[in-house]
Amino acid sequence: MTAKGLAGRLLGRWETLLVAGIVGVGIWSWTLSPFFLTRGNLLDLVTPYVFVGLMALGLTFVVIAGEIDISVASTLAVSVVCFAQIFAAGVNVWLAAVAGLAVATALGLANGLLVGILNLPSLAITLGTLAAYQGLAYVILGGEGVASFPTSYTNVGGGYIAGNQLPVALLILLGFALVLGLVLHVTRFGRYLFTIGANREAARFSGVPVGRVRVTVFALSGLMAGIAGVVYVGYFGSARADAATGSLLDVVTAVVLGGVDIFGGVGSMLGVLLALVLVAELRNGMQLANIGGPTQDIVIGVLLLAAIVAGNLLRAGRTSGFFPGPIRGLRRGVIGRQADEAVRPSNVESPESGR
Amino acid sequence: MNGVVRRLTPQKLAAAAFRLREIGIAAALGISVLFFAIRAPDFLSVSNWQGIAQNVAIVAVVAVGETMVILTRNIDLSVGSIVGLSAYLSAATFVHHHAAPVPVVALIAIAIGLGLGFVNGVLVAVARVPAIIATLATLGIYRGIDDEITGGKNITAYQLPDSFLKLASEKPAGLPALAWIAIGVCLVGAVTLRWAPWARDFYAIGSNPDAARFAGILVRRRVITAFAISGALAGLGGFLFAARFPTVDAVAAKNFELDVITAAVIGGVNVFGGVGTVLGVALGAVLVATIQDGFILLRISEFWRLFFNGFAIVVAVTIDALVTRRLQDALRRRRAEVRAARHREAQA
Amino acid sequence: MSEPLQPPVVELQRVSKSYGGVHAVADVSFAIRSSTVHALVGENGAGKSTLVKILTGVIQPDDGQILIDDTPQRIGDPQIAHRLGIVAMYQEPTVFQDLSVAENVFAGRHPRNDLHAVDWSSMRSEARRVLLELGAEFGPDTPVRGLGVADRQLLEIAKALSSSARVLIMDEPTAALSPHEVENLFATVGRLRERGVAVIYISHRLEEVGAIADVVTVLRDGRHIATRPAAELPDGEIIRLMVGRSLDDLFPKEEAEIGDVVLKAEGLMRRGVFSNISFELRRGEIVGLAGFVGSGRTEIARSIFGIDPLDAGSLSIEGRPFKPRSPRAALARGLAYLPEDRLHQGLVQLMSVAQNVSMAVLPELTPGAILRPRRERALARRFMERLRIKTTSAAQTVRSLSGGNQQKVVLAKWLAAEPRILILDEPTHGVDVGTKADVHQTISHLATEGLTILLISSELPEILGMSDRVLVMREGRLVGEFARSEATQERVIEAAAGVGAAA
Repeated sequence: MTAKGLAGRLLGRWETLLVAGIVGVGIWSWTLSPFFLTRGNLLDLVTPYVFVGLMALGLTFVVIAGEIDISVASTLAVSVVCFAQIFAAGVNVWLAAVAGLAVATALGLANGLLVGILNLPSLAITLGTLAAYQGLAYVILGGEGVASFPTSYTNVGGGYIAGNQLPVALLILLGFALVLGLVLHVTRFGRYLFTIGANREAARFSGVPVGRVRVTVFALSGLMAGIAGVVYVGYFGSARADAATGSLLDVVTAVVLGGVDIFGGVGSMLGVLLALVLVAELRNGMQLANIGGPTQDIVIGVLLLAAIVAGNLLRAGRTSGFFPGPIRGLRRGVIGRQADEAVRPSNVESPESGR
Repeated sequence: MNGVVRRLTPQKLAAAAFRLREIGIAAALGISVLFFAIRAPDFLSVSNWQGIAQNVAIVAVVAVGETMVILTRNIDLSVGSIVGLSAYLSAATFVHHHAAPVPVVALIAIAIGLGLGFVNGVLVAVARVPAIIATLATLGIYRGIDDEITGGKNITAYQLPDSFLKLASEKPAGLPALAWIAIGVCLVGAVTLRWAPWARDFYAIGSNPDAARFAGILVRRRVITAFAISGALAGLGGFLFAARFPTVDAVAAKNFELDVITAAVIGGVNVFGGVGTVLGVALGAVLVATIQDGFILLRISEFWRLFFNGFAIVVAVTIDALVTRRLQDALRRRRAEVRAARHREAQA
Repeated sequence: MSEPLQPPVVELQRVSKSYGGVHAVADVSFAIRSSTVHALVGENGAGKSTLVKILTGVIQPDDGQILIDDTPQRIGDPQIAHRLGIVAMYQEPTVFQDLSVAENVFAGRHPRNDLHAVDWSSMRSEARRVLLELGAEFGPDTPVRGLGVADRQLLEIAKALSSSARVLIMDEPTAALSPHEVENLFATVGRLRERGVAVIYISHRLEEVGAIADVVTVLRDGRHIATRPAAELPDGEIIRLMVGRSLDDLFPKEEAEIGDVVLKAEGLMRRGVFSNISFELRRGEIVGLAGFVGSGRTEIARSIFGIDPLDAGSLSIEGRPFKPRSPRAALARGLAYLPEDRLHQGLVQLMSVAQNVSMAVLPELTPGAILRPRRERALARRFMERLRIKTTSAAQTVRSLSGGNQQKVVLAKWLAAEPRILILDEPTHGVDVGTKADVHQTISHLATEGLTILLISSELPEILGMSDRVLVMREGRLVGEFARSEATQERVIEAAAGVGAAA
């Protein structure tokens, strides 16, 4: 492959845009504070958002399969409070954490059964479970928090190794990103997800176990929310029922910005990871610039909208030739797809069966 | 032979299913009232019901707007943030202009909400952002704006004029003023949804977006209108909210959108669009508020409320989908049987 | 009865349209006049639906022009067609399920009163008037969800009438109707004619055409064959015109050894779709399943393959009973189905050739559940060679392939699953001649290797050229079976249309 060809292929990818964004925001942050470019700070950039990233990784699976799960943050909350209560009841902290994971997976499984087996609309169902699970979290723990976790545990989520520089949480995130990335892109299960998301009917005709896969993917999303909860408690050292309220926006932004098509069938784990780094970096930078939390939310919200609008424009531009060459060449990851119905048959089955 | 076949026509089955929903809510309402009345002594007291009425009022006002959005097969998650923002801005206006006439400030609140809703509408209809994402983003953006403006402070009742606070304390003819306002909004909403041609288009758009476009309906314009109305009513809701809960801070009306959506979904508004009435939504709001009030009286933890909302949504959606499917299967079988019977008649 | 010729409402002049080198219609010219019931007949693939799409603005012709009232018009989209007064009605009418009948009729055009509000009473009475005129048995307040197909058709007609449609296209309107309802429809069509509407009536049921049409246009292979008053065209003549081609031996069928029964179907029934379907398939046999659209062929295949439910009947594969619970279950028993709609049901456009080809056999290709792209590509390349699929590489996205090559990819997917019984539904639909020949050669060869093939096709030459036996379906029933030696085009069409001896 020639150098030009390689450059062309690299330039035409959404991930490259993300990397450019990361570099750009990095430069901006550095102008705000030279401290930004120190190794310690760079490594610690993502740490407060590792739990967001873990949820985003799980959500990616769901969205690629053509569904949506907005109950992830609430699932994290239930997982965290169960963990706290079980631990407070005297159980070993690690076992309690595992119990929390089990609960989270069960909650995800509940979503999966409703959507995958009963064929209910995932948006409406996870909207309901978003509220139900969050309410459950409040019921279990009330308004107070639990903060008495042993350091042996908090060192995992909040600790550092390699001479106090490398955050454990970052390793956890990278580890899961790697594993889940492999699952998504290298395993049969992952292929099934892309197939179902791209064309559920053709998948069914081809013998893909559509029901089973959809149930599993929601359980997986729940599990990742549980793991995010485990890390959350480790990092923040406390468990509250309102843990992670407000994180849903960042999670969805990471997924959408990462190039995952909200309609399914397209996406990459690398993109989501990069997008997460970008979001974390952006928040960090805004902190340096003394931009308050609420305004940061505004910025992230606008970023989410911009990501979708950009995707729509690129998709339209690709078919109408409106945009110049390199942008038109964007291929992988959501954006460079044609909008014509021939490519994306609606995943709704015949009117008689679905509504 | 004729009589038997003709009596249970497919049309009658479908019509019965329609009314089933409203009967169901009314029945559930009746059962809940009975249940709580037996278990809690104060449940049937006038003051309790006036309290319920006040809570229902604000939810109902916003739910009417949300309904219009859901009818078009969209959703508006940002109403809670709009209510919060509008509440604060309304209160803030009074703080700075103590003698401002109440209706004027109300109009300002509505206008603000209308603008915010309009933005939602443009995002969904023009920029083609899926409603769930668009309103999730604006939920965050509008709440962020609210947080910024409040700046960590809050407004207290002492800073607000009596003319405004009276809205929450007056009870003309025994019914709280807020409830009267809500009844008015519901009436206007019901009349609009029934008589305004552009509002009837909402139903068509939600029922079959492609057919709606083919029929010449200006889908984009209508969707923007629906979101704008939702925003405007959320603005009004915020205004009323500030009157009822005069200590307005940045977290005012957080999660309020769930109350609203629950009322709508329970009230028979189908999440796929095309189905829903103001009466149903009003009943849904009353049912939700009644159960929540009952919970409080029975000393059931306030925390169950959120769970109940979510659970109700899941149950309502599930029942709707399953019932619709059963109904369609039954209708299909009925049609085949009717056809076969007619065929036999013709041959006889 | 000779009447003065009405002025033409619509006139097609030399209209042509092709898809990727295959012409769907070529050089078609004829006129449609008001107050006329104008039948449009031809086999599947003769070009009828393409013409309908052109007239309703869904697609644009490559060549030729369309004149409305003697003025050339460009029907750019369905709304323009609507404004010009051209309305089409299909087998499954699209309605607003959640609205009432009156609202369906007046969707987007509500009559207003002085206050600019919806004038419900006027809307209702106007709807009632139209429905009465059409002889409908339901009223304006009926919820549409409860209406059957016949009533929905009436609803669509009412909608068209009330919006002053001048041309009403009815595509297979009687396919789902009982004889009683058909009579009603005929009466309605008569009323439309009196109203001055031009009705384009597309149907395979020649007895209906004979009963209702004033003028008949016959299409064949995308070309206009004849337009004559119905009185001058008896059924037999119509069939001859529809079919009148010589059967050249484009499809050399190899002799295959026919063995034991591999699939046995007994009394298959799906309520309202098909009934009393019994047949046998033998090893090495190619059995053709002929019949017009709506006769139930695809539906049978879908039920056998486990996509749609079966209400009654039994199946056995290789002697053992078989319950078609899902496509997976069918595949496990060696049964594969190549669907009619290759774009939406056969292929995942976003994916590559290799990924599509390997879709049905992933469990075998992925030991340890790990994808092996190299194996997928190798598998794809094997089939690319065997089926002569023209593409730059196995990694190319399917979307950019021609229709013919896409079809080969779908075929490759199923062949990769090494089925013992293969149901092909319109395998050469919309495919160029070269690819057709390739596919036929492959099918023929597969039979010699011991595969059993059920070939569903609307192309008579294909069915007659390929099949050892031909089964004919009509309205959900099996109405004919012909051995290869006795099957002729006329006999098959007669059985499918229900005319002549087979009626």
